[in-house]
Amino acid sequence: MPLPIFIVKRILQAVPLLFIISLISFTMLKLAPIDPLAYLKANPAISQATIAQEEERLGLNKPPIVQYLIWSNNLLHGDLGISTTGGSVFKLLIQRAGNTLLLGVITVLFTWLIAIPTGIYAAINRSKWLDKLFSIAAAIGMSMPTFLLALILLMFAVHTRLLPIGGLTSPDFFNRNLVGQIIDVSAHLVIPVTVLTFVGLAEIQRQMRGSLLEVLRAEYVRTARAKGLSENTVIYKHALRNAINPLITLLGFEFASLLSGAALTETVLAYPGLGRLTLEGVLTKDMNLVMASLMLGSAMLIAGNLFADVLLKFVDPRISLE
Amino acid sequence: MLFAFHRSIRHPQYLSLAIYQSFGRAWIFLIAAIIFLYSSGCSGSFQRDLEPHISSSNLLPSASKSLESTIYKAPYPGDYKLLTVKDKHGQVEQLWQARGELGQFGGALTVSSFGTGPKTFNCWSASDAESSGLASLMYEGLIDIDPWTAKFYPRLAKSFTISPDKCDYTFTLRQGLKWSDGEPITADDVVFTFGTLIAKGFGNASARDVLTVYGEFPSVKKIDDLTVKFHTKVPFAPFLSSLGMAIAPKHILEPLTKRPMTEFNGFWDINCDPKTLVVSGPFKLDRYIPGQRVELVANPQYSMVDKLDRRLPYLEKFVVLIVPDQSTQLLKFWGHEIDLLDVHSVRGCDAAQVKQKEHIDDFKVYNLGPDDGTMFLMFNLCRRKNPKNEKYYVNLVQQSWFNNDYFRQAVSHAIDRQCMIDNVLKGVGYELFTAEPSASIYCNKKLASYPQDLNLAAKLLSLGGFKKINDKLFDSGNHLVEFTLYTNAGNTTRDAICVMLQNDLQKLGMKVNYQPIDFNILIDKTGNSLDWEAVVMGLTGSRLEPYNGANVWKSDGRLHMFDQRLPAANGAISVNDARPWEREIDQCFDRGATTLDTPLRHKYFDRYQEIAYEKQPFIYLYANLDLSAVSNRIGNYMPTPLAIGYGARGTLHNIEEIYFKRKAK
Repeated sequence: MPLPIFIVKRILQAVPLLFIISLISFTMLKLAPIDPLAYLKANPAISQATIAQEEERLGLNKPPIVQYLIWSNNLLHGDLGISTTGGSVFKLLIQRAGNTLLLGVITVLFTWLIAIPTGIYAAINRSKWLDKLFSIAAAIGMSMPTFLLALILLMFAVHTRLLPIGGLTSPDFFNRNLVGQIIDVSAHLVIPVTVLTFVGLAEIQRQMRGSLLEVLRAEYVRTARAKGLSENTVIYKHALRNAINPLITLLGFEFASLLSGAALTETVLAYPGLGRLTLEGVLTKDMNLVMASLMLGSAMLIAGNLFADVLLKFVDPRISLE
Repeated sequence: MLFAFHRSIRHPQYLSLAIYQSFGRAWIFLIAAIIFLYSSGCSGSFQRDLEPHISSSNLLPSASKSLESTIYKAPYPGDYKLLTVKDKHGQVEQLWQARGELGQFGGALTVSSFGTGPKTFNCWSASDAESSGLASLMYEGLIDIDPWTAKFYPRLAKSFTISPDKCDYTFTLRQGLKWSDGEPITADDVVFTFGTLIAKGFGNASARDVLTVYGEFPSVKKIDDLTVKFHTKVPFAPFLSSLGMAIAPKHILEPLTKRPMTEFNGFWDINCDPKTLVVSGPFKLDRYIPGQRVELVANPQYSMVDKLDRRLPYLEKFVVLIVPDQSTQLLKFWGHEIDLLDVHSVRGCDAAQVKQKEHIDDFKVYNLGPDDGTMFLMFNLCRRKNPKNEKYYVNLVQQSWFNNDYFRQAVSHAIDRQCMIDNVLKGVGYELFTAEPSASIYCNKKLASYPQDLNLAAKLLSLGGFKKINDKLFDSGNHLVEFTLYTNAGNTTRDAICVMLQNDLQKLGMKVNYQPIDFNILIDKTGNSLDWEAVVMGLTGSRLEPYNGANVWKSDGRLHMFDQRLPAANGAISVNDARPWEREIDQCFDRGATTLDTPLRHKYFDRYQEIAYEKQPFIYLYANLDLSAVSNRIGNYMPTPLAIGYGARGTLHNIEEIYFKRKAK
């Protein structure tokens, strides 16, 4: 099958998938016995009329099926509705998407730039002390909850005053020149990027090491060595190319997570990202916001998978797109 | 966490609780532990300062007693002076002269608020504390309440008079008042605000309902450019405090009132252009960065001057950081990223750390006494059937227990409130027994406490027809007394309270099944499905106006939670099964609202508290202590217990005079 047809087919397949995802998400959210207006209702100073107004504004006074139809109809017209926290969901998402993307891209960049070389190094120098050190670091990274690492780094920031404590910009951000602004954002990004890189590093580094080791045991590697090829050619030309396939699939998943954000890390570090926004939305049953964010996540996952498949095709000509 | 253990030693049965509490939310524990380890090196202990007898003896004294003696009292700075000046165009301007010391201009005050940030910048559609707090920095009303004397004084107004029959209120505005865009503030704005915006229910319709007296909205009339007159059918005491509502700029908002009502809420919402806001208060919105902060700048047209006749506010900027929770606020305070930790941000469990750090860091802790919020246990007293399935909301057996006065009194007597405060709030709280919080000027101080007395509780239970067999409590029909207790999950304080309640009530032989559920689910149960038996909850109160509790106490109230009557399709609540004491409370509120005679009002509101005290529909537990921590660089900080607002305004009632002290060169 030619590539463009493959892509079109996959995109067409995604449409019913997204529909089913939206239906399931909507039903589950509706079934949750959460009152979206609880904070208004528990406030003695708020009158019944205000609550009725708010229900009308959010469409909560209509039956769930009608609400779903309104929601999906709006979605088809490109309208994501309004949030219970005020303002349009689209604007809320746009405001946060940039921040999450910034954090995501830098994290992915750091993770991969560190994980691939160390993974290769660890595979080649198996059982040496540096490999063991990487193993320990990976084990810590895999088992340590992100919020714990975030907190430890926050404590470091509090005590040393070297880094800002959470957030993305300082209050004087808009009074700085461009260089100052870049420095400010970079300083704020150090902790979240470190946390997410450290945690993400483990998986990719282990995967790289494992699959390279497997390939290094293969017959053709032995043959190549027997032929008298230099060790560098054996590893980088023959072994690595074959070992990279599982990592491409991982890259697809990484792409999917670029926009879903890291809710826990974002919350602990007061980072203005999509993850924190969505988490807050789920807790207060902010239907439009949560639905939009779930749909965005699903679309990104589908796109990421497609992206990985296409990339695989380029990397490994043996794979066919049937 | 070590503080938790420290006190638990004297209450071994709660040691497990301390551990549970500390590990329940591991990350809070971690912050506490790390901060504690860090600061344990410092000399000077919180306990030695605030509770001298705790560390010296092993008896648990009343921590609140020793806290009471340290309540901060800012000296009364005197009245505002009215200044009449001529501006450069020869126009007469009447300005208030601030009461504090002379300050220095410039600087940005950074505070923080926890949560998701403001929901709107439209002052009149704001319904959450965060948005209202910001609005109170940007808008002023005709009058305000003096933070020291609790008396009304004119703000945008120059003076006001109340007619002898207490039905006519005449306000005279100051001359030369201007909106931030330079337009004059006149009687037209006042008439527009009350007569159109609020009367027709634009924005947050609660404002209309608060001002409505017996179904009728008071009339408002323009007498001349600077004079307006309000008229109510009957005298209505809460009316005056409602007149503190922000005045709206007619020249901006009037076109909107001619459009569909729903558009109003979208105007000046969080996506609006901050430059378009027109304000009357000391600050004006400059920039909103979602999820990060709100930046406000000084309003150059603000009509107040200092003692050298320089126009206030002193501060150039006011920045509110939006942080997800109180732990982050604390960290930011330690990192000097914020200048002030306001009340509601210093939790009981943080108080010790904050107080301890006061010695080494450059800030001061202010104790402002009990908070107006109340924490209580309530039972579902509902005796009605669900019209949908003809089943009782509460089954007949449990109904008979919960509606038994002796049962609720016995429960109240079984609770060890001081122990809760010591273990959960780390001593930083007050026992609470009255319906009006102790912070309220209407609190009935004559009502004695409901001390823990298990013998009395047992006696009351047997009077109520209950009997205890093998440490289990049975009612007269031999049903085992067992019920489910809900509270909102994720709140470690309430979690711990419920575990302790479970423990205390077990001593009476009651079996309490504790179940934390999400806050939004809890509100659905208490306000809609009525599918609950017992709940631990908190409500905000009022320090100045008990009638604000009408929604909770009147039998047709929207938050009459202990026996919630559900609204009909049109939103009206009809009551046909009110108990005699509910009816008497209704009367107390009605009469208390329709007289302006303070001693008489005290009489009515005392009576309602007596009934609540005897009948215990809400079994009150405790009130938090209000603490704020403020950098010593801030001048003119004069917090008083009567002026504690929600949101970013907090204790900064005199924000226009707040300034940064600069070190002498």
